[in-house]
Parts: sequence; C-alpha cells; structure tokens
Amino acid sequence: MKNILNKIAIFALILGSFASCDQELDQLPFDEFASENAFITAADFENGIRGVYSALTRASYYGSSDAGSMLSAPDVMSDNVILTSRGRQSKATLHNWEYLPASTMRGLYFDAYTVIFRANNLLKFAEDFEGDNKANIVAEAKALRALAHFDLVKVFGKIPTQSADANGSLGIAYMTEPDPLAEPARMTVGEVYQNIIADLTDAAAGINATNPTGRMGKDAINVLLSRVYLYNGEWQKAIDAANNVTTPIAPRNSVVGVWEDTNQAGLTFYIPNDATVLNLNIGVTWSQGGVNNLIPEYAVSFEFFNKFAADDIRKEAYTFAGQNTANALQWNAIKKLFGRPGQSNGLVDFKILRAEEALLNKAEAQYELGQTGPALITLNLLRAQRYLTPPSGETGVAIRDAIRLERRLEFAFEYQRFFDLKRWALPVQRTNDGDLADGTGSPSINQSLPAGSFKFQLPISTTTIDLNPNIVQNPGY
Amino acid sequence: MRTKFGGIITLFLAFVVQLTFAQEKTISGTVADDLGLPLPGVNIIIKGTKTGTQSDFDGNYSIKVEVGKTLTFSYIGYKTIEQPVIASTTNISITMIADAAILDEIVVTGYSNRNQTVQSSAVVSISASDITQSPTSTSIDNLLQGKAAGVQVTAANGKPGQGAFVRIRGTGSLVAGASSPLYIVDGAPIREQDLNSIGNEDIENITILKDAATTARYGSRGANGVVVITTKKGNRNRDAIIRYSSRYGTVSKIEDNFTMMDATQKMQYEAEMYALGINAAGSRPGVLTEPGSPERAFLLANEVDWQDVILKDGVIQSNNISISGGDEKSDYFFSVGHDRNTGIIDNINGFERLNTRLNVNFDAKEWLTLGVNVGYSRSLSDEPRDRNNVQNPFRAMYIYNAYETEFLLNEDGTPQLDSEGNPIYNPTHQGFPIRGAILSEPENTITNVTLANVSALVKFNKNWSYTLNTAVNHVNLRRESYSKPGGILQNIIGDPNFPGLKTDNGAQRLDFTISNRLNYQLNSTTGHNLNVLGLFEYNLNENNFYRVTSRGFPSAQLSTQINAAEVTVGTTNRNRLTLVSYGAFADYDYKERYLASASIRYDGSSNFGSGKQFGTFYSGSIGWNIAKEDFFDVNAINDLKIRAAYGTVGNRLGIDRYAAQDNVSFDSYPGGSATIPSNVGNPNLQWETTETSNIGLEFNLFSRRVRGVVDYFKRNTTDLLFNIPTADESGVGDFGGNLGEIENTGFEFSLAADIIRNTDFTWTLGGNVSFLDNEIISLPDGEDITPGSAFNILWREGEKINLHYLVRYAGVDPANGQPLYFGIDGNTYTAQGLIDNFDEGTDHRVLDGRSTIADLEGGFYSNLVYKGFGLRTDFVFKSGNYINNFVRNAIETDGGSINGNHHVGAFNYWKAPGDTNVLPNPIFNAENIDSDRFLEKGDYIRLRNVTLSYNFPKNLLEKSPISSLRVYAQGQNLLTFTDFFGDPEVGISSGETINFVNTVAPGEATLFSYPQTKSIQVGLDVSF
Repeated sequence: MKNILNKIAIFALILGSFASCDQELDQLPFDEFASENAFITAADFENGIRGVYSALTRASYYGSSDAGSMLSAPDVMSDNVILTSRGRQSKATLHNWEYLPASTMRGLYFDAYTVIFRANNLLKFAEDFEGDNKANIVAEAKALRALAHFDLVKVFGKIPTQSADANGSLGIAYMTEPDPLAEPARMTVGEVYQNIIADLTDAAAGINATNPTGRMGKDAINVLLSRVYLYNGEWQKAIDAANNVTTPIAPRNSVVGVWEDTNQAGLTFYIPNDATVLNLNIGVTWSQGGVNNLIPEYAVSFEFFNKFAADDIRKEAYTFAGQNTANALQWNAIKKLFGRPGQSNGLVDFKILRAEEALLNKAEAQYELGQTGPALITLNLLRAQRYLTPPSGETGVAIRDAIRLERRLEFAFEYQRFFDLKRWALPVQRTNDGDLADGTGSPSINQSLPAGSFKFQLPISTTTIDLNPNIVQNPGY
Repeated sequence: MRTKFGGIITLFLAFVVQLTFAQEKTISGTVADDLGLPLPGVNIIIKGTKTGTQSDFDGNYSIKVEVGKTLTFSYIGYKTIEQPVIASTTNISITMIADAAILDEIVVTGYSNRNQTVQSSAVVSISASDITQSPTSTSIDNLLQGKAAGVQVTAANGKPGQGAFVRIRGTGSLVAGASSPLYIVDGAPIREQDLNSIGNEDIENITILKDAATTARYGSRGANGVVVITTKKGNRNRDAIIRYSSRYGTVSKIEDNFTMMDATQKMQYEAEMYALGINAAGSRPGVLTEPGSPERAFLLANEVDWQDVILKDGVIQSNNISISGGDEKSDYFFSVGHDRNTGIIDNINGFERLNTRLNVNFDAKEWLTLGVNVGYSRSLSDEPRDRNNVQNPFRAMYIYNAYETEFLLNEDGTPQLDSEGNPIYNPTHQGFPIRGAILSEPENTITNVTLANVSALVKFNKNWSYTLNTAVNHVNLRRESYSKPGGILQNIIGDPNFPGLKTDNGAQRLDFTISNRLNYQLNSTTGHNLNVLGLFEYNLNENNFYRVTSRGFPSAQLSTQINAAEVTVGTTNRNRLTLVSYGAFADYDYKERYLASASIRYDGSSNFGSGKQFGTFYSGSIGWNIAKEDFFDVNAINDLKIRAAYGTVGNRLGIDRYAAQDNVSFDSYPGGSATIPSNVGNPNLQWETTETSNIGLEFNLFSRRVRGVVDYFKRNTTDLLFNIPTADESGVGDFGGNLGEIENTGFEFSLAADIIRNTDFTWTLGGNVSFLDNEIISLPDGEDITPGSAFNILWREGEKINLHYLVRYAGVDPANGQPLYFGIDGNTYTAQGLIDNFDEGTDHRVLDGRSTIADLEGGFYSNLVYKGFGLRTDFVFKSGNYINNFVRNAIETDGGSINGNHHVGAFNYWKAPGDTNVLPNPIFNAENIDSDRFLEKGDYIRLRNVTLSYNFPKNLLEKSPISSLRVYAQGQNLLTFTDFFGDPEVGISSGETINFVNTVAPGEATLFSYPQTKSIQVGLDVSF
C-alpha cells in the first residue's frame, strides 16, 4: 500500500508540474506588432506613412498586374499601344474594351482603397499624436488619400469636363475613416472632386517643401493639384497650382537617363525600386525578354510611333526597335519601363509625378482661358527641351492641338492618355495598322470607342457589388 | 487474417519430440470451424510444454502425447479449447468457436481502445491487411477512398506523393483547411499534407471516428472527424518475423477521353476560322501555307505529339523490410522502406521517400511499462509548375500545336544549333519552350518528418493506472527553386549582371503534445465493465519559416546561395498555437449487452479572444446489442446492435493564429520600415461548435457471413470560423470572425457478405455508400458570401454549400449560331441582350443547386479466393458533383484563341441554319461570356484497383525458411466510366492559383493541374 501511495505522490507531482500551462494560452505574434503600440513616436509615424506609400506599389495599382493597373491601363485602353499577337494576351480585355462586371479591374479598385484605409488609419492615430512631423505626416496621408480617390474616380466615374452631366453622375465612395465594416454608397463625381481638392489643398498647406526619397513634397502635391483642377475645369486654379511647382523640367540631355534611372531630372514624386527593396519588375507589363528575344505584350501603335519626330529625344527615350529573332518579328517596342542600362528585366523606379506635367496643365488651362499666346509660350518651354528644332508658330485651334499632341508624346505610356481623351470628350480611334514595326501584323480587334460611350467608365466588379449592396453599377453594364 | 502461428521452430521441435518420447500414443483428428469447415493452421500444443503441431490444409492433425496430458487448440479469432487425453482416446476432433471478442476489430480512439462489439459510436476501422490489399499510394489519405462509409475523399491531383481532400461526413466548415479531419499518428497530430511521410507498411490500424461519442474526446479539434493512425508493434513471446515487401511497376497518364487536333486538323481549323473572318487566324500556318505546298509538307513531316514529348511512362517502386517480435517483457517492431514514383513528366524525378521506424515497449517493472515509437522519413519531390500559364507542362501538352516542333529546325529538318552546339528550343506560339524550362527551372522539396511518441504506463493495481505520454511531430521542409543562369526564364526576365535566381525557403514545424492520463478500469465478475479516463493535456504547435532569394550565379552547376552575387530577399517568420485541455471520459457495458459512454472536455486555445479561449465539449452515447439478450433466440443473427450518440465538438482552424488581435506588420519601403495594418482584430473570436447526432444499426448474420452497418447523422455547425470579407471600399479585405451556421446530414450504408465461404473457395462482396446533404442555414446579415479562394462559388442562406454561381448557357441560336444565355427572367438572350434588355447591373448568374460536393459516393469490391489464388477488385464512385471544365474551355475557344491547339470536337460548330447541338458560330466568339457552358457533371465509377495474387501453400514452403509468400500483379485506375470531358477526379484546379491549403471548394474546376495516373505493378510479400 505504501508503494502505491508513493506512486500516487509521483503522479501528483508530474501533474502539478504541467498545471501552469494555462498562461501558455496568452500568445503574442512574432511577426506582427499590436497596432496600439505601432503609432506612438515620431519614428512610428515615419514608418506609418511609408506603409501608406508602399500600397501604391501593389500589382494592381502602380504595379504590373496582368489584369491591368494604373501603370498600364490608360495606354492599353487608348490609341498609344497595340496588343501584339506574340505576347501573352495580357490585358486584352481592356485593350478590346470587352470588360464586363465580371472581368473589370477590381484589383485596382481594391488596391486603391487599401492605400485609403492605410492613410485613414494613420490619420486616426495621428489625432492623439503631437510630434514635430505631425503636420507633414498628416499632409502626406491626405495627399495619398486624395491621389487614390482621384485615380479611382477617373477610371470608374466620369470626369467633370467630359460632359455636362458628369458632376451629377456616379462617382465613388470617398472614405475618410478607417472603418472595416463600412458599406458606403457612391458619391457624385462633383462631390468626389470637392473632397479631393479639399484634401490636396490641406496637403499643400501642411507638407514639407521636400520629403525623403520615395515620398511626396510640395511640388508633387501641386502637380497633382493642377491636374485635378484641370480635370475639374478650374483653369485658373490649375495655372496657379502649376506655377507653384519649382522643380525644373528634365533638359533634353537628361531625358533618356530619366527612364534608365541614371538621373531624376523633372521628377517630383518617384519611388526607388531596387533588387533589395521592392524589387518589382514592373516593366513586364509591356514586355519580357531582351531587345533580340523580345516577348512584347504591347507595342507602340504604328500611328503613334510615327508621331515622334526624328529629332524628338523621346523617340529614343520611350521606344526602341525590338525583335524576336526566333520568330523573325520586329516591333516598335516600349522602352519606358524596359530596364536600367544593359538590363531588360523591367526593374526601374516608379515615376508617378513629373514637373513637365505642370507646364502642360498650365498651357492647356491658359488655352482654355483664351490666353493662347501665353499658352504657346508655356508649351514652347517644354518643346525647347525635347526637339532639336521644335515645332512652333501655331495659332488658334492648332495651339490646342499642339498642346494635346505634346501631352500625348510626353506622357506616352504614363497614366494619362485614356483619361485625356475621356475628359476632352474625344473617341479612341485606332488605325487598322498591325502590331509590327512596319505596320503589318495583326491590327487591334476593336479600333474605335466612340466619344460618350459608357465604356469610358469601367464597370464596378460584380464581387465589389456582392460585398457592398450599397454600390450601384455604372450605366451600360 | 490468418497469421502463421508457431512457425518453423514448432515444427522442428515436434520432430525432435517424436524422437525423444517413444512411449506416447498418437492422437489424430480434424479441426473445423463452427460451420463445419476444416480449419488449417490451428496450433495444437501439449499444455505445459513447447511441443505441438498444426492442423494441415484439410484441418487434419496428428500428435504423439502422453496419456493424462492436455492438448490446447488455439487459432486466432477463435476461443482456445483444452482437451485432456485419456487412455481410450485416439481421435479428438474439435469444433472451434469463433471468439467474438477477438474477432472484433479493435477500435483505437487514441486515448483508449475498445472492441467494436461494445462500441456505441460510429467508427470505422481499417486494418493492416486491408491496407496491404489496397491500392498502393504513397499517401494514406488517398487509400481511404471507398473504404469507409461517410468518408469523402477527393484526390488533390495526380502528382506523385500528393494526398487528398478528406471530408468526414461532409463539409463542416466554410474556410480552407478547416474541414479536414484531425489526423493523429501515435498520439501526435499531423497535417493532412504531411501524411505521405508515413510508410503504409508501418500502419497497424486506421480508425475513423465519425460521431461525437468518440470525436468529442478530441474536443476542440474533433469537429470534422478524427483519423487515428496506429503504427505496428511486435507480438510478445514471438521469435522475430522478418517481412519483406517489394513492388515494381509502371505509371502513365490515363488516356484522355477526347482527342486533340493533329497538325492537319489544326491547320484545317485555322483555315476555316480565317474563312469565317477571324483575322487572328491569318498569321497561322493553316492560312499562311497552302495544302500540298512544300511549306505545308515540311510542317506535316515534322509533326509532334506533344504528350509523347513532354510525358513519359514512369516507374513506381517500393521496397520495405520489417522485423517484429518480442519476449515476455518486451516487444519490438522495426522497419525500413523506400518508395519511388517518378511520375509522368519526362526529365524530372517525381517523388521518392525513405522511411524507417522502431517501436519498442518494455516492462521495466512489474508495474511500469515504457514505450517508444520513433519514425523518420525523408521525402524528395520535384515540383513542376502548377499554374495556368506557359510554364505548366500539362497545359503545354494540350495548347502546343502538333505542327510546332520541339526545336527550331533548319530547312533540311535538322535542329538549329546554338553556338555551343545544343539544339535551340522552339519557343512555340506560347513564347516559352516548356521542355527546356523543365531542365533549366528546377524546383523541388525535401521533407524530413520525425514522429516520436514516448510513454510510461504505471499500473497502481488492477483497477488504476496512469500514463504519461509525450508525442512529437517534427517536420523540416526545404524547398529549392532555381532559375538557372542561361536558362529559359533568365533569358526572358533575367538581369544580365546577375544571371540566375535562386530561392530557398523552408519550414520547421513542431507539434508537441504532453498528455497525462489517469485510468480506472473495472471488469466485474457480474458483467459490469467500466473504464474511466481523466485527461490533462498540453499541445504546442510552432512553425518557423525562412526564405532566402539571391541572384547572380557564376554557373548553372552551382545552386547554393553562397555562390550568389547578391541576396535580394531574406526573411524568417514564426507563429505559435497552444492548447490546454482537461477531460474525463467513461465507457460502460453490461455483458456486452447494454453499452454507454460519456465524455466531457474543457479546451483552451491561444488563438481566440481573451476570455473566449475556453470551450466545453461533451458527448453521450448508448447502445443495445439485442442479440446478446438471453431472450433473443435467432440463430441466424449473431449481433444486432442499436446505438445512438449525441455531443458537441469544436474547431479552431482556418483563421490566422492571431486573428483576435489588432496587429500591424512591417515591410520595407525606400527610406526605412513601412507599417502595414495587417490584421483587424476581433476580440470576440471564439470556438466554432458542431453539434452531432447519430443513430446507427450494426448487424452480423449467419455466423458473420453477412456484416452490415447503417448510420444516420446530422451535424449542425454554428459560429463558423470565417475570414469575413468586408466591402472593397473598406480597404481591409477580410478579418477572422464567427459567422453563420451550416448543417450536414447523411445516410451511410456498408454491407459485406461472404457469398461463398468454404475451404477452397471464398467470395466476398462488399461496399459502402454515403448519401450526403448539406445546407447553409444562416450567414451574417443574411448576405451572400463570395469565398476568396474559389472561382465562381457563392454561399447563400438556404442553399447547399459550394454551389457554382454562373450565368446559364442556352446553346446556340439555330438561325445564326450565336451563343445564347438565359437571362434572370428565364428567357434566352444574346450576351449583349443580357445587358440591353435589363436594368443596369442586372446579375444573370444563378445558383442552380449544382455543388462541388458529391451527394452520393462510396466504393464496392469483390474478393475471390480460390486455394492460394486471390482476385480482388475495388471500385470507387462519386455522383452529384459539378466541375467547371476550364480545360475544355481552353481547347474549345470557338476560334477565340486560335493560336493554341483545340480538341477535335471544336470542328462541330454552327455551319448552317437549323444546326443544333453544335458549338457557337466562331464569328461570335467575342460574345462568349463566363457561363455554365463548361460546367459538367463529375459523376464517375473508377476501377481503382484490381489485384491478382497467389499465396504459396504452407506445405510447399515447409522445407524452406520462408513462412509465407505472396506474389501479385496489380493495376490501378485501369477503367473509368464517366461522361465528363477529361478526367473527373479533380481536387486542385491549379495548385499555384489556389493551393491545397487554401482550397475551400475542392473539385470546383479543372485547370491543368497534375493529372491522375494509372499504373500496373507486380509485387511480392515474403515472411521468414
């Protein structure tokens, strides 16, 4: 019996030694950090604002998603590029305007709202923060929030100058609180633009003149603001904002280098992209492979390629003669994101806002105000740095057309073309030329998107509507 | 199972004995079973000695024995009989009586063992012999298909070593990875995808616990059933038995039940498409070359069958040696095994596994038994790309045209050579030569799994005992993915300054359980049997991950990252999940007649909100074996047991381990760290609870010649754990929460009958079938949910789980061949008509009751044994599920993707007014919208296994050292009956789009994942 008691005692001992296990249930993550601890010091808010910026680089936003993104869609949907039969047919739905609620750019929609959530989250924590950098951080967060909403409303809603009914038409939900459970309805386009302008004017007032690399400063806000005013038809304000931009445009001898990341002339907001940080091969949105074994998704459309004058430095900076020797095919290939010198991996910095746009916004606004002379002067400031022998001497409507052409050339493959045609109420009109360098090859399946087509406003994804019953579909879908 | 008893030594001893004792008398006789059939191999031992003999093939024996001694007759599965030898006797013929208690399969619940006779829970036990006879697969979950009613098995894909999606009694959870059962190997939980680390030959028993009476003992983890796997151990007082099994065979792709176009047909198709006005066809050879032209002739002369080029007939090979035995105080089981399945892709190696195990139990004291089970396995698996893009060989073999050659050719038809004299791969219209890429872009995983279980059993007295058990499951996984410098991918996306890209990532997964059990056992002489178990358990599960990527390799021969110029990614991650459990379980029976059990378990888990961590789970069950009643007097009925069980079980899987907490993570952005809101915390997160009711009937008739089980169950799951999707506008994605309620109900039948049972010839037919129904009872706010990791699935209240949500295709307009669709009003429209005739945003998709989940599934078998010959056939079947056939969609594009190859049926398009049952007129191919056009019934019956075997008779082996020898030939998946286009056995659609772990709707779609294979093998099992 004694023996048994001993055994029971041992058992009790063993049991006791494990009885303290309950505290093992309080587990904290190893790879994460409690949100309430993450926004306290000034350094925390620096980390926080970088977190907002980093969402810009998501694949469907300024990244290279095959489903289309802000990086590619505005050109894919317009007349600047043509789908090549040699490629993987990525974004073909966009190029052919065959998008439907089931096949629209939900990724862009979601990624842009991710930027917005992160900005709003930071702004919420900033309410209880009183560091030296508060004003600047708040300004950046508001600017990012405005940028994301602006990108959304351009794609999924009308642009105020596009048509008389635009301001009253369906815009997007403008989010100003970090609410995971929110199910907002769409505001009108007019309301959205008022919110964007309010955020950007706040940002312009609070932001530092310059911020560390990869972040916006005052010039970036003013470039963006001038575009928003331009889209909103507020010509004088567009001019004023453009006038506030102090960064000089890239001189002719720097233009090639800007796109090979050897200089940053004219850039007011860019995101460095290196093998060790970000490491995003964004150039694959246009092509993969080298100059001689190229697999292009898109090539420069034959019509547009011929718009580049021989002495236009951008012809060399933006395009190259690509070929695939195995298939004996040649294209007028897109160089803007091709790679740094000697590279074809598409690993280049994200260039989001450039000083050149301030000039073009200003010139256009001046023309709209009837200031044709000053408009031409403004335009010539840019043309002088792009051509050996700049075109000149236009009058009347030719000035407007020159401004529009220069905008198309300068911002080729760079976030603008589809929206420009849209806001000018122009159709997208492609030629029947093929995808190859000499204009032969396969032409685009669909070559014309009439002005006023409902397809200028992309459909809201079916999934988005499934998730939020307050969201209404765009007309036509 | 007729295990050899005694063996060579007994025979030898008997021979010696005959020489030594001259004065004995010879007793002879016949041993028969209760049906009067002779029983061979019965051990006849003179009690108190080691002298004895065995009955021969006809049940006859003779033995010399002194008068006054007692003979004992023993045989596995029968009651031992003692017969004294008296002077007048020369003949003792014995009828052996089946011992129900021994014949019964042991049900291993992990915490206790209980005979099937006194079990009041719905459980299925699969024994080692079943496993040996079963289809040979490297992963045991595949092997469960068709074996047990109520177990739904969907093979993930045909990749060597790949497992299956196992669902016990339906889909119990709406989130990925949470509907799989809990797998326990010798006390340690193991992930479904790690099951392929266990050697089949090491398994003694697989017990599937289906209802709450037993699953509730696993409390928080038992909601989706429990599969308890027990490894073998040696028999005490038995000399070592050496068993060797070997198998060798070939494996190949199951032939498609459709035909791809050959070069002539495809060019014809291209010409037809071009003639119809499909401009893209203009750049195809079918338009660019004239029939009969030298160019056309050149293409035809170099025609390629891409399946022949990309695939191969692979090799399956398996070798295993085990040694088991024991003495009075110890027993042991040792094994080492090697398995190889090369798979069917040419130039890569498939799957290879080396596994070894030692299980030892040792009586250290009269009151103390120590045990250790240790198994180690190392698997190597090549990982071909499994995504819907140009890098997927199974996509390439369909999409490449037959007129596209493997290499670029010179005008004389010889391959073009590069500067080093190697042929240049043809990038094909896909821009990516898959044959080259298989060589230059290798990816493989190496998995080391150690399973160890150490236990100490202390017997205080005959009633009380205590067990301390420590079980560890450690997985060490390394995946290497190399894009070789100069390789196919590097030439497209590489950086010439840093050629070559290598990623090593890996995981260390530790699952550690320490379990204290206090047991009280009472077997009273009055027939009361009671077993009570008290449990205190702690479980820790920790994962450690790493990932390193670097670039710039001086040579393709070098792949370790020390050789790289620059590291671009280097990360580690860690997470941990803990569980603390208290439990009390009781089992009771009275004379095996009245049965009852009860359990309660109190579990706390670290992944729930503070104050929500603990949950209580309980169960109760009762049973009545009417045949055991004295008043019951029907000889034909051996057992007739009614049982009922009810209980609650929990689930904690499928959500992030820290989902209750509001967290940020940190990323890298130029300038420094970037704070990423990574999780919206939900402090109210709690257990998902399943309430299970079960009633069942078990019967054994005609001396157990007919055996059957019928069960009805209902599982009601509430507070579903779910990553609740938020509105896109919130910018959050989803967060972990409890929502909704689902219900699974079903009937299960299993029946086996020995149609013929006599000495030389037995024929058994058996099978099982499960009828399953399920319903989503409620969802939060009653709103529909679109699960993320699926293509076109919608969850809606009142509907079945995992329904396809698609616009209905209505065929073609006979007038012009235009594709038509059903509008939401039930009328037919063109694609544009669906937009023009309805309000903006009208959604024409419907739920039409078509689910990815089969509502009927099971298996049936026939087993013929004539003398030593055996012929066993196993069929599996499934019905009622629908699969979205994206593969057919990709090769039947109505000319929309004219660059790629099509199947021959694509010719059957609309050509003239009045054509019906045709594909749409290709000129309308831009009007093909996502619809149910490619949604097909997944019904099939498949001959999973057929085995022809021969067991050498004992008398042939007598003079050899061999105690048993079985040779066999086996074929798997040799026959399939289905109307599905392609192979209907679909689990993973596209492994890199939705991987195994993330799959919420297994079998939703087929999209070029590794196809199922068939094999023919020969093998032998020999024991010494």
